Amino acid sequence: MAGAMSPPFPAERGIEVYNKKLGMWIFLASEVMFFAALIGSYVILRFGATGEWAKPGIVLSIQITAFNTFLLICSSVSMVKAYAAIQDGFPDKMKFWLLMTILGGAAFVGIQIYEYIHLIEHGFVPSGFTEGSHLAELVENGTLPAATMGLYGSTFYTMTGFHGFHVTCGVVSMLYLYLFKALPGKYTPQDFGGIEVVGLYWHFVDLVWIILFTIVYLV
Amino acid sequence: METAHKRPNYILIWIYLAVLTAAELGLAFELPITANVKLALLLFLAVWKALLVGLYFMHLKFEKWNLRMLAIIPIPLALILLFAGMSESIW
Amino acid sequence: MTTVAATAHATHAHHDDRSFIQKYIFSTDHKVIGIQFLFLTLFFLAIGGLLAMQIRWQLAYPGKPMPGGTLLPETMAPGGVLLPEYYLQLVTMHGTFMVFFAIMLLLVGVYANFLIPLKIGAHDMAFPRINMASFWSAFASGAVMLASLFVQDGSSRAGWTMYAPLSARHDYSGADFGQEMWSISIILFGLSSILGSLNYITTVINNRCAGMTWFRMPLSVWALFITAILGLLAVPVLAGAAIMLLFEQILGTHFFDPAAGGQPILWQHLFWFFGHPEVYILILPAMGIVSELVANGSRKPIFGYHSMVFAIAGIAFLGWIVWGHHMFVSGMNPTLGSSFMVSTLLIAVPSAIKVFNWMGTMWRGNLRFHVPMLHGIAFIAMFTIGGLSGIFMAATPVDMFIHDTYFIVAHLHYVLFGGSLFAIFGGIVFWFPKMFGRMMNEGWGKVHFWLTFIFYNGCFFPMHIIGMAGHMRRLYDPTVYDFLKPWQPMNEFISINAFLLYGSQIIFFVNFWWSLFKGKKASENPWEDNGLEWSCPSPAPHGNWETLPTVYRGPYEFSAPGASKDYLPQNLKLPTDRDPVLTPAAGH
Repeated sequence: MAGAMSPPFPAERGIEVYNKKLGMWIFLASEVMFFAALIGSYVILRFGATGEWAKPGIVLSIQITAFNTFLLICSSVSMVKAYAAIQDGFPDKMKFWLLMTILGGAAFVGIQIYEYIHLIEHGFVPSGFTEGSHLAELVENGTLPAATMGLYGSTFYTMTGFHGFHVTCGVVSMLYLYLFKALPGKYTPQDFGGIEVVGLYWHFVDLVWIILFTIVYLV
Repeated sequence: METAHKRPNYILIWIYLAVLTAAELGLAFELPITANVKLALLLFLAVWKALLVGLYFMHLKFEKWNLRMLAIIPIPLALILLFAGMSESIW
Repeated sequence: MTTVAATAHATHAHHDDRSFIQKYIFSTDHKVIGIQFLFLTLFFLAIGGLLAMQIRWQLAYPGKPMPGGTLLPETMAPGGVLLPEYYLQLVTMHGTFMVFFAIMLLLVGVYANFLIPLKIGAHDMAFPRINMASFWSAFASGAVMLASLFVQDGSSRAGWTMYAPLSARHDYSGADFGQEMWSISIILFGLSSILGSLNYITTVINNRCAGMTWFRMPLSVWALFITAILGLLAVPVLAGAAIMLLFEQILGTHFFDPAAGGQPILWQHLFWFFGHPEVYILILPAMGIVSELVANGSRKPIFGYHSMVFAIAGIAFLGWIVWGHHMFVSGMNPTLGSSFMVSTLLIAVPSAIKVFNWMGTMWRGNLRFHVPMLHGIAFIAMFTIGGLSGIFMAATPVDMFIHDTYFIVAHLHYVLFGGSLFAIFGGIVFWFPKMFGRMMNEGWGKVHFWLTFIFYNGCFFPMHIIGMAGHMRRLYDPTVYDFLKPWQPMNEFISINAFLLYGSQIIFFVNFWWSLFKGKKASENPWEDNGLEWSCPSPAPHGNWETLPTVYRGPYEFSAPGASKDYLPQNLKLPTDRDPVLTPAAGH
């Protein structure tokens, strides 16, 4: 029974989901709205743009990001395996899978930062493209549409930037739980709510990326 | 509290996700289909993957209906905002 | 984690050996946090009012030096004469401070924090440390916003609605870093609000004491709960929009820049998608408070308790699909506009249900006109006026003429001041004993109420008239328009009432501070009310109760037949009462 505990005092039944887990789901509902604002704006702007939008793969690297997507999905699997492990009473397995998740998440962020540096070097910035850069040449020879590059840059960096920020927060939280809760053996099959709750957050972050990857990189 | 259930096969779900991702990548490259069909298929695949993560990794499939409602409520609101914003470009 | 609840419970029951800093500065006690919010918000209410006084001076006496104006820098008011740039800062910051830092934080930060655990029978919120984080991020947000008035070129001045691209570009607005500070402050505020919301929602769902079923909860808790849901889902959209605005300001993005394919109307859709649920956030808790005050003052149960709950839910539900009524003149899609007209007209219905139910509550009640009751009755009347003017705006063809006029300003002040602020004042007086263990002075409370009521109506009612005559909003100098010149005496009349209104608040201020130290000591239940908060000492101690109460009935059992008194507290067990089914709840 995941994280079940009976209170020492009588109370109303409530939703029969413990507070931290309920709190995390409620928080995720707010996060859906937050990403809806950012992603919705992207869709609205792209739908309403009068010119052509840049074709996928010219500015952004689909191959690297596809690998990154796969990495994040793998880290989601390792997260759920950590949760299953402690549920079954194997704290050592849980620690292993949690560490894998942290490493996977950190690698994702690392690759994203690498991509950002690469993109900025080529002249792709939030305001569009910089003068005299490689991207400026592509705009000049018509490979990229000048009219929508400003929107492309604005929406790309805002959406992926905030997603990356959320991933980073997830990695930091998991690291904290790993160092101060998992390693000292504070999780037991009767009490492992922290793993479940941070797991929910991590899966959510993966879910958002699944949507983002498709609509930003592939469409 | 989760209702008692058989644990899903996480590795199997992982394979599904990998296959769907590969399918998306395949679609992204030049294929003899119109842009609208490609968009629809890509969105469909993305939503399918998202549902797999939500239902199985986040255990929504096995939670009570009221927790599922909580998770679902923001979606129609997000869609309302989206369609209202998009409607500005069609008149 | 299992044992935290148990040990916390045990600690509350015994000694309280926290340090001064833990008790009063970085406290996790919901009551202390509520009181911290109270002091913070009363401060911002005073600031917002001060800004309004300057606006009213300029409108009544355009071009004349303002008393105290020479204290302002030359860049804002040379020789004490307000500059247009400064005037626009005033209207922007008055709106910003009042909406976010005064009313929203008073209703949600103060009342949700203070009342919810007390009224549902919990020791504290579900997440006490997140609660503390929520207060301090609101504090930081307020500090940034206040500081923005003092940076070079002053604060943002694009109106509290911050329409882009005016708000996005320094060369359009004339503001410099002050603009970015608005965005940063709002992002911090959003964080505070979301953290608060998730606390209130979790607490109400999972931490109700035995017997406190959903339909035995007081209406104030229902209102605060539903408000928290509104905030949870609407504020993130504002946060997203504010982030996009900040990026527009500092990174040169093009979301709202038409020259690069961006859409200015996108800002409006994002802002008002948040903005409309926001105004329901600003009124629903006030309505909940009024239900408490009026039931208590009428010594009668609330008329139609269930329909009151459904009305709150109905308002919250419909509130998501009406935002376009703020955008009727924006050039939005006309078909979309028509749908907004229909939904806006519909939303009047649940609000009206509530007004009729309050009237039904008072009908043939054993009325006690104590200060909170006076405020509650004033709310009902003033909110009705505000609601009626809203019907004019809901009708798009009418709104074409009255949008951005003083008719709108009248409407919003009738609902926000005549509505929310009267409820807030009533609530402060009502729960003062539970917060501080003393009563506020009743006589001076009545003087304050009547002066406020008279000057408030004198100030805001004429705004309907000049608005209908075409007097625009955010206007620096009405006398440049010939058609407005005849209305200038009315502007003066409004301003004089405004000055007297602000002056009258000194009475409240003195009453509040004096009563903190010298007020009559309060008993456990000075208002003879039924809520659970009146079953613990005044002021409520850390942890609220040693043993949590058990609830046997609803919250409005006033003048119950056969009862020995005209009130019957929720937790009082009568011989005829059964114990509720005690389940080991999974919440804790």
